Amino acid sequence: MATLTAPQDTSGLPTFRVLARRSFAAFLRREGFGLFALIGLLIFILGPMMSVIFWAFADRWRYPSLVPQVWAWQNEAEPWRFWTETFSRADILRGLPLSIGLATIVTGLSMLICLPAAYAFARFRFPGRQLFLLSFLTTNAFPRLGLYVTISVVFYQLRLMGTVPGVVLIQLVNTLLLMIWIPTAAFQGVDRALEEAGLDVGASPRRVFFQITLPLVLPALSAAVLLTFVGTFYEAQGAFIIGIPNVRTLPVIMYTLIENQVVAQYGAIVSLVLWVPSLFMLMFANRLLRGGYLTAGFGV
Amino acid sequence: MTTQSLPSPAPTPNYAIQAARRARRQALTGYTLVAPSLLVVALLIIYPAAGSVIRSVIVYNNGVATFSLQRYADFFNNPISMQNLGFTLSITLLTLAFLFLVCFPLALYLRFSNSRIASAVQLLALFPLFVPAIILAYALIRFFITRGVFQTLINGVGIASYSMPIQKPAGIIIGLVWDNLPFTILILTAGLRQIDDALLESARDVGASNTQIFFRIILPLMQRPALIVFSLNFMGLFGSYTLPYLLGPAAPQMMGVYMQRTLGDFLDTSAAETQAVISFIICAAAGFVYVWSVSRQRKGER
Repeated sequence: MATLTAPQDTSGLPTFRVLARRSFAAFLRREGFGLFALIGLLIFILGPMMSVIFWAFADRWRYPSLVPQVWAWQNEAEPWRFWTETFSRADILRGLPLSIGLATIVTGLSMLICLPAAYAFARFRFPGRQLFLLSFLTTNAFPRLGLYVTISVVFYQLRLMGTVPGVVLIQLVNTLLLMIWIPTAAFQGVDRALEEAGLDVGASPRRVFFQITLPLVLPALSAAVLLTFVGTFYEAQGAFIIGIPNVRTLPVIMYTLIENQVVAQYGAIVSLVLWVPSLFMLMFANRLLRGGYLTAGFGV
Repeated sequence: MTTQSLPSPAPTPNYAIQAARRARRQALTGYTLVAPSLLVVALLIIYPAAGSVIRSVIVYNNGVATFSLQRYADFFNNPISMQNLGFTLSITLLTLAFLFLVCFPLALYLRFSNSRIASAVQLLALFPLFVPAIILAYALIRFFITRGVFQTLINGVGIASYSMPIQKPAGIIIGLVWDNLPFTILILTAGLRQIDDALLESARDVGASNTQIFFRIILPLMQRPALIVFSLNFMGLFGSYTLPYLLGPAAPQMMGVYMQRTLGDFLDTSAAETQAVISFIICAAAGFVYVWSVSRQRKGER
């Protein structure tokens, strides 16, 4: 229909204003829902995030104002006083390195356990392969908190409650599905003909693996590692239930900061610091989404 | 030439034996490589879960283990736990309803529009993927709190009365919808993209209206993605902890919070285990739908 009316418009030569009004009406008809959705999402998605960012850099922020009255750097006597206070809290100073260390250990352990398994799932034929592969879905098939409760009953007996190894184990459970399924799919996607061609011209199997197979699966492997690290860094529920009161990662400290929110800035500043790995991941958002990695863990 | 290259009957069984040996070696290597990961699943998921299920139906009478449903009777006769269970179910279903209400139109819009606004909408709708729940909880509290940013905003459009949703059931629903928005939209748009444009064009060519296309083609083809969204979200929402704990009321509590309190504050492991097993059973139905639809799809790929 649009193709039929277009030539008439040019022959009639309507004024610019009429054209503009007509195209704006058409734009509204076409994009009315989009505009409505955009405004709604701007308020409800960006609104909360902006309030955290503003609070982190606010010295004084009183109702009713959409922006802080005094920013952190505008306080002449004590510029950035809440930042100084936040980073002199002992729990936060201990929590940050603990969180980074735990996420590194868990990701490393997960790679060690899962990557060889993923290779085997992709390359070797053995009875029960399909069933074993599906068994990793059980990590998603239980309501999280229920699973943590049953695990903590076992951990009580093993005296793993409130210990770093206990937290490592519970966080490891959450990483399995991603670390197995994404690499398995990647190894399956490598064309065997390329490897055979390498072998035919006399390359050793080791050389074929490191120079042909590995570069081809590297994007998927890095996506799995990145998602696992960031996911573990933010894992709060398992760490909270198993780690309390001795092991307190930064996300676990956030619970306390939110519960007894004396100073709004503390929580906001910790939120902002906590957010850094996620922002880093945001830079790769396009590639992660296009590769389907973000939903891979759900088996979709 | 043909007579020369014909395989002599003698080596054939040798090849078969060699192939069988290779297959056995491959299987052995395969088992060795997958064993550690399966061990983690067995020891950290199957063993604790099975243990809790077994312990929940056993009582000890003078050291003799007997089968008993006493713990379940305790749960179902306790008004607090029943209230919490009902609260969890209604919050879960309400959140799911809101999620579909928000995400289905958005996904349809994203599927059929290529405008710049559509890409902005997609960007915003997927943004929560990069906001961890714990930061989200804090952000929502700061945004919706009395005399906060949201109240300032609605005052600006002339609404004077405001009662904050935080520490109320509405707070949990807002948080959970926010948190699950990207996943739901991703699955639904992925499902919608599998619907071929040619199919819709040909329907239009034979005179189908937009409503007919929606109800007769799009809706039936959306069943599987909708099923995955429903079952996975159901489990996630039912077992959620962080958002209900930080955004919800002190009572009634959602099951996740209730279990954590029973275990951590009252140190009542047996009651906590019973609550866990009851939530397993309720989610098992949803989990079955999920595993079934995923494995059916994976089979289709082979």
